[in-house]
Amino acid sequence: MKQYGMVIDLEKCIGCHACAIACKAEWEVPADQGRNWLKRLGPAHTPHGLASTYYPGLCNHCDKPACVEACPADLEEKTFKDPVSGKKKTMEVAATWKDPFDGTVQIDKDRCLGCGACADACPYEARYVNPELGEDGKADKCTFCVERRAAGLEPACVQTCLAGARIFGDLNDPKSPVAKYVKKGAIKMESAAVKIGPNVRYFGNKRDIHLLTETSTPRVMPEASLRRVMIARMVRPVIREVKKKLSIFDMS
Amino acid sequence: MNKNLTRRKFLQSASLAAAAVPLSRVAPAQASFVAGEFGAPGSFSETKTVTGGICEMCFWRCQVVGKTRDNRLVKLEGNPKSVDNGKSICARGNAGIQLLYDPDRLKYPLKNVGKRGAPKWKRISWDEALDETAAQLTKIQKKYGPHAVAMFPHGASSVYPQQFLQYTGTPNVSAASFYQCRGVRDMAYMTTFGFSPGEKVDMANAKAILLLGSHLGENVHVSHLKQYLKGLENGAKLIVVDPRFSAAAAKADVWVKIKPGTDTAFLMAIMKHLLDKGIYDKKFVEDNCTGLAEFKEGLAHSSLDWAAKICDLPAEQIKEVAEIIGKNAPNVSIHPGRHTTWHGNDFQRLRAQACLTAILGAYAVPGGLIRHKSMKLGKAPWAKGVFAEDCDLATFWPFKPPGTPTDAIRETSITSKPYPIKAWVAWGQNPIQTIPNQERTIKSLQNMDFVLVTDIMPTDITMYADILLPEASYLERYDYIKKGTQWNPADEQVQYVSARMPLVEPMFERKDSVWITNELAKRMGYGDNIPVQSVEELVDKRLAKANLSIKALRELDGIYLQKGKSPYVTDPAKRKFEFDTDSGMIELSSEIIADNDFSPVPTFIPVEEVPKGFARLVYGRSAVHTFNRSQNNVWLHHEMPENPFWINDDNARAMGLKDGDRIALENQDGVRSRNTTIIKVTPGIRKDTVYLAHGFGSMNPALSVGHGKGIDDQALITKMVIDPETGATGMRNNFVRIIKDGKAISFPA
Repeated sequence: MKQYGMVIDLEKCIGCHACAIACKAEWEVPADQGRNWLKRLGPAHTPHGLASTYYPGLCNHCDKPACVEACPADLEEKTFKDPVSGKKKTMEVAATWKDPFDGTVQIDKDRCLGCGACADACPYEARYVNPELGEDGKADKCTFCVERRAAGLEPACVQTCLAGARIFGDLNDPKSPVAKYVKKGAIKMESAAVKIGPNVRYFGNKRDIHLLTETSTPRVMPEASLRRVMIARMVRPVIREVKKKLSIFDMS
Repeated sequence: MNKNLTRRKFLQSASLAAAAVPLSRVAPAQASFVAGEFGAPGSFSETKTVTGGICEMCFWRCQVVGKTRDNRLVKLEGNPKSVDNGKSICARGNAGIQLLYDPDRLKYPLKNVGKRGAPKWKRISWDEALDETAAQLTKIQKKYGPHAVAMFPHGASSVYPQQFLQYTGTPNVSAASFYQCRGVRDMAYMTTFGFSPGEKVDMANAKAILLLGSHLGENVHVSHLKQYLKGLENGAKLIVVDPRFSAAAAKADVWVKIKPGTDTAFLMAIMKHLLDKGIYDKKFVEDNCTGLAEFKEGLAHSSLDWAAKICDLPAEQIKEVAEIIGKNAPNVSIHPGRHTTWHGNDFQRLRAQACLTAILGAYAVPGGLIRHKSMKLGKAPWAKGVFAEDCDLATFWPFKPPGTPTDAIRETSITSKPYPIKAWVAWGQNPIQTIPNQERTIKSLQNMDFVLVTDIMPTDITMYADILLPEASYLERYDYIKKGTQWNPADEQVQYVSARMPLVEPMFERKDSVWITNELAKRMGYGDNIPVQSVEELVDKRLAKANLSIKALRELDGIYLQKGKSPYVTDPAKRKFEFDTDSGMIELSSEIIADNDFSPVPTFIPVEEVPKGFARLVYGRSAVHTFNRSQNNVWLHHEMPENPFWINDDNARAMGLKDGDRIALENQDGVRSRNTTIIKVTPGIRKDTVYLAHGFGSMNPALSVGHGKGIDDQALITKMVIDPETGATGMRNNFVRIIKDGKAISFPA
């Protein structure tokens, strides 16, 4: 199984924001929102010296994504297919899920309710609700440009990066450039309370990594998230029942 | 309710599934995503790729392609064929479509029926606009002479109209790109090396890089940054001299936290140290340089301790820098800089940079200053203007860059001495934000008989126009021809030529500058002298010299490539060069400078000290904005809506200020900022220095996004020091204190 991920090399990143804007153009993101973002950090003191770096952030496509758990949309069976082995796997998913074969977290906007539970649940604030889509808005976030990749293209942010600071690939493939970066010490932005297995990693010198993690690592899981997840868990069986009844109704 | 919602959504998706989905939106079977009704299709889906774009969100001008759908531009990308920027473009390049479709853009010719500065706009026809402009300019030229028309150009489209006005007989053209930017650099290197250096230092292959004030990373030019990053990746030692811990300083091996205005002393001490210790390229200097003895003599007093005191640096650090540079010579990039009009003592500093390059032998070698030969193109077409003998306002400045120093034009505009200037033409430039002392600029504008402004967007200067003309943007017109070589000089040698082509048709009544100029020329009695009938003809004429044409380039996806020549001459036997100076050599000591009563050897001229209670205001670039030009771009505005005011953390503590506090500023002359901004409290700046990114705080309410956001640094720069050799405008001689809740807060001593 693959786990797609991205490494951001802060030694190379010069903080130009091209990633954030290319993504906006590619995916028609509203001007005041972002699927990815860049924040300038410092200059500030660190134990390793004065530092100034950037937080280029995006969806972490986590191992245990809080957003997927929080989605209250009704569950549906969905069959996934591994493009390599042809293996199939059927799972019950809400309007957002973690792909069992490539590890990316995706959204079915047709089924998204636009409630924003997923956005509230993400400790990295990587999701937003695009109010321009549908009647009630639709959740949106980085997809690792799955559609571009299907068309044989690089993710938009990777393509535009003049520094070559964004490296995309399969973290489970030890020969991939991203896995090599992990071996060299690329870090996850995790804390004691937020340990959901982010798959975006950051590489840099000690002082920059210190500044990044001190200022930008989430320290708490969003409270709303826990509440929403509990509600979702309670509501789901009910929805399933309703759906069953509805389908009987529709057939008759 | 929950049930109803679910049912509605459920039925909605069911009906959608049944509806016909366009083929291109159907996801390949193996993909796990669902490209449904609500997802954006992506720029690659159902789009056409239009090649031949040349960016002008800034003036580096990357090669781009457009993705269009139904004749609408949806995305810009680097042209994959480019050997310069390649597939990469920066944030501003990516945001070009938000300029193109900005609803605030100028759409029609406008006439100001209100006052200058408080305009009321009336839409008029092109005929009326051109008739009136031509009549006014002709009247002024007849009454006061052709030199009574002054012009402030910027950007590729302003070249043709500028040449036309010069052709009619006015020398009074002042480009901000020279007089408030790089002109002083070019002249200093011309007098030393005989050519202007651009930023052509081979950082990609350097073993050490010295940046003086250049904040690469905040100053974003794609291929230049590729070179810089390649150098760092290859292990080049980076030395950054800056009072601020800039984006570049953050990547540096040595951050030299210099006192502003003292860089020349720093460079002199380094050169003296290298010469004293014999750490310089003796063979290169002997074969290629003149004036070594005088040069040494001129530097005799420049000890490390002398400079340390002036620059407020440890002498050890200056020595360390000298030794890093010396050890890595000749593969050293002494970056010439770009915006170099700092303190009015800049010609001497840039001469010092050029001389340091020379004694290291850092010329025509990997890492050094290089001249990378590109293809030859035809010249722009208007014949050279002939100016009346007594109309030169720039006789004081023997080493002035082309045109007339801005301040000379402005003072003449106010005083009418030695002759009246009665019309201002701004073409793509916003002199309100490019020239210090806005009060004087506005006074000049009010003193005119006529003001013409041509631009793409409303800016501060457009508020002062009598006639305001809307231009097609860089995405909708032909004009500029970009040529050059592959970005890494060590790679396979390639030369390229690419001419800007429109990616979409201009909307509303926007026109290109050749059409506008020709229509004016006809109406001003120069119809028979018009050199080209259209911008396409102009581009084709220039391309013909390289046996190219628009048609040929279009068939080549916008870029012609051919084999190039290496810029390196490393064979020791061949390292004796001919330079285009009076002596034919690199002039360490310059006779022509001495003949004009300036120091022939680089010398340090002290700058005004910071007055008590104030801090020195320095300014610079931001990665997401190009001066004032991009302030109304919604995407770029979102990335950086205002310009945080950098203040040293110890000062902030003593002044009772916190990070994020909202403040205004007041300068030494009591001029207050029109707007406020937030404070950025940081240890990454000297205590005697504060910093703002340039270009914010537009005063034109027609900019619905950018108006009044952030502080306009130029509004606080009321005092300038004119560089005595070049007439360029030194702007870092202004001092500010903080205004919070209406009260002035002074800086601690």
